Amino acid sequence: MRLKRSAVAVATASLLALAACGGGGDDDKGSGGDASSTVDTENLGNTGNGMDPTRQGPVTIDGAKAGGTVTLLTSTGWTTPIDPTDLYYTDTNAIMSSLVTRALTQYDYDEDSGQMILVPDLATDLGQHNDDYTEWTFTIRDGAKWETGAPVTADEVAFGIQRSMDGKTFPNGPGLYYSNPYFLGGEDYKGPYTDPNGQQQAVSVDGNKVIVKMAKPFPDFPYYASFPAMGPIPTDPAVNDPAKYAQHPLSTGPYKIEQYTIGKSLTLVRNDQWDPATDPARTAYPDSYVVKAGGQEAQNDQILLADSGAGKTTINYSDVLAQNYRKMNDTGRLVVGGSPCTYFYALDQRQMPDKSIAEALTWAIPYNDQIVASGLIPGVNAIATQNVMPPGIPGREPYDPVEGHGPFQTDPAKAKQILTDSGHLGFEIKFLFATDSDTSVASKDTLLKGLEAAGFKATPVASTNAKFVADRDDVNGDINLRSYGWCSDWPSGSTWVPTLFESTDLNEVGFGTNESAFNNPEIDQKISDVFTLPADEQPKAWNDLEKEIMTTYMPVVPRYYTGVAIAHGSQIEGMSVDNTLGMPTFRDIWVNAG
Amino acid sequence: MSLDARGEVFSDEQTPPLVHDEALEGTGTIKQIAGKSPTQIALSRLRHDKVAVTCSAVLVFLVLLALFAPLITRAFDIYWDISDPNAPEVSDVLDFDGYPKIGPPFHPFTWAHPLGVAPRLGYDNLAYLLYGLRTSLLVALAATIASTIIGVSLGLMAGFSRGWLDRVISFVTDVFLAFPYLLGMLALAPIIVSRFTTDLDALARAQLITLISILVLFGWMGLTRLIRGQVLSLREREFILAAEVIGVPTRKILFKELLPNLVAPIVVSISLYLPGFVAAEAGLSFLGLGLTGTPSLGKMVADATPYYADYGLYLWLPVGAITLLTLSLNLLGDSVRDAFDPRSRR
Repeated sequence: MRLKRSAVAVATASLLALAACGGGGDDDKGSGGDASSTVDTENLGNTGNGMDPTRQGPVTIDGAKAGGTVTLLTSTGWTTPIDPTDLYYTDTNAIMSSLVTRALTQYDYDEDSGQMILVPDLATDLGQHNDDYTEWTFTIRDGAKWETGAPVTADEVAFGIQRSMDGKTFPNGPGLYYSNPYFLGGEDYKGPYTDPNGQQQAVSVDGNKVIVKMAKPFPDFPYYASFPAMGPIPTDPAVNDPAKYAQHPLSTGPYKIEQYTIGKSLTLVRNDQWDPATDPARTAYPDSYVVKAGGQEAQNDQILLADSGAGKTTINYSDVLAQNYRKMNDTGRLVVGGSPCTYFYALDQRQMPDKSIAEALTWAIPYNDQIVASGLIPGVNAIATQNVMPPGIPGREPYDPVEGHGPFQTDPAKAKQILTDSGHLGFEIKFLFATDSDTSVASKDTLLKGLEAAGFKATPVASTNAKFVADRDDVNGDINLRSYGWCSDWPSGSTWVPTLFESTDLNEVGFGTNESAFNNPEIDQKISDVFTLPADEQPKAWNDLEKEIMTTYMPVVPRYYTGVAIAHGSQIEGMSVDNTLGMPTFRDIWVNAG
Repeated sequence: MSLDARGEVFSDEQTPPLVHDEALEGTGTIKQIAGKSPTQIALSRLRHDKVAVTCSAVLVFLVLLALFAPLITRAFDIYWDISDPNAPEVSDVLDFDGYPKIGPPFHPFTWAHPLGVAPRLGYDNLAYLLYGLRTSLLVALAATIASTIIGVSLGLMAGFSRGWLDRVISFVTDVFLAFPYLLGMLALAPIIVSRFTTDLDALARAQLITLISILVLFGWMGLTRLIRGQVLSLREREFILAAEVIGVPTRKILFKELLPNLVAPIVVSISLYLPGFVAAEAGLSFLGLGLTGTPSLGKMVADATPYYADYGLYLWLPVGAITLLTLSLNLLGDSVRDAFDPRSRR
């Protein structure tokens, strides 16, 4: 069950959708070796790939008690949309899909494996497909209701899916990357708001069945179906008006929105129309949830450390600060877990003489020093890498891109030897840093030192926080080393190899997500070939292709996988880490008032 | 006017304003202090002021520390910049969570790093403190000298010229007084960075020069107004009128007749400028608007605040240094003002 379907990967573009990363997701963060021994790095990065199409509700937790208010703190802004169709960030996704909005499928935390498992939600199973994965049929279950008491109908689910094709109205949503490219006629249909008279061909309804037709095979659709965008939206135009609905999306889940101020707060109270028997994963023990966004990181940490009053039922889902890690860990209220992201240095292939530069760089990067300098904790939220794809991706086999190079190993002498042998001693590495971010400056200092010790000529190029991403993504910018991070939307090699290594038209679209400007027609052909393979052969094929690219050309130098370290109050029970998103497992949380 | 034996106290009722002195000397009414310039009087008063002597000693000590920073750091083999090729690796001095592996707060004192190591960044606190002190003093001194020169010249011109030049200078002074300098710095910082993207040494120099320029740009107005006011009243005095009548050139009147009478307000304003600029530099660097490639006490404060709970020493070092510097400059300034202003007494 586990590998079967996720193995079939045809997706070509997966978007990094991480609010929790904060900022541009580009801060120079290195990795380090001497992590605390309390962290299980083996399971930490496992990003989940199981499925269970037969799971039934209701779900209960032995000994769990109902009641209490859970406060969620975060230093990031909650400024991204919560309209289900426009929602594509990990924090809003985790909270809204776990507590408020239901979709066709959902993830549930599996205690035994520590992974997330894909289970049905509004659909009765994980969908039925035709032979070439171009038509998916979901049966909508009975008994699911809106917060108004009206039943959730197949028509409303179909409308929600249609709505996701309106990229102009919902520019933040995942529809642009999956609905439009994959759905039949999705490239032409502009959506129900932008083109009210247009005819869409993708979504149809047959009784209580929703049928989605694809323009090309989409075997990963059940994963995509877990996004809030693949859920119901009321068909009444007065209710689903995008501007209005974004302020107050209607609930189908266990909680409904009582109050919502963008960028500031969200209060969720019980939705008594939700029937646990219809839900295979959500438990909903607490009476209410309050999200408070935008607080100071240090202050949020202090609330959790003090653990008094409301702090006892509080979760700070932004990572604990490095300086508070020891103290927080001693309280036993710190939960660590993985999130499916890899940070790497992309070497501009237009300027690289050969692979030796990347090999030397692999030895030269002061992984540990850089991670510490940028305020991350090696082995906790920056975990040693080997492959580009993080653990948990089906088919992934660990390998060393540079022979003999261990995780987080730095050896300037070896780097110098490689450069001397290849005649590139003194090769100039130009990289960006932001003068107004101390972590960026500190990380620049460590990298500069590491590069110079290894015999490179290092030229840091100054930028500012505000301009950093634009400067980095400028294809004509005078830099040849770009720091980049990538996260998978679901566990599949198809969201990694094509996105990072398929050539893009630099003049027309820029790097896209191929930040190393890697342009190799032979590899492009091999990527297309993998898509035509039988579904169960694709995972291994992706891994083999990644290994081939990395050992032959090495356009990127992996630095670390991300992890999360989330602190919770002493009365919070059942909190683990949802490692598909790097967020708490909100579906299983309850308050133990003693 | 009378002086006691130590030349310390003036009698109340007859104390003439300092500016009288030249005229008085001319009339020769005060025989016993003839030949003693007001500056000499002030210095002799300062020498007997315990606060002034203590503050001067502290300042000399701090200046010496700053001057000999390279020698001291070499003697201890410590570095303020971790990217220095001879500096230890970050991982040699820092634990996985950024706290130092040696020295405070979790380990005993070590001579290798007498004041500890900065968490997360790994530089030596003593070395950074010394170089930060250097920057502070350099910025404050340069800004003070420039502000004083500009302030005095404009004040002299405005006060003496009468008419349109006075009005223009006064208007410009008011405009600059009304402009918020923090806003100016906020706007300038990113522009400077984008101007010097690849040459980091040039960027560091540019930031230093910009910081000094900004401090000067928004610092000269007070002195200009003060000097203008003084000149306005002096201008009508007999000795100036006499000089004008006998045809002394304007330049000579300005520099030979007026300026010597303005020594007191200038010295006092210098003594107030110095600590003000030290604090302003620290404040701007704390906000990340000042210096990035140069060590600065303000930046050290900003680095240290997150660690206050566990590593208080790290924050107290720069805070203590700034306090000591500004406090002694201020107290010395107070004493200087007292010494130069015969109407004040202790």
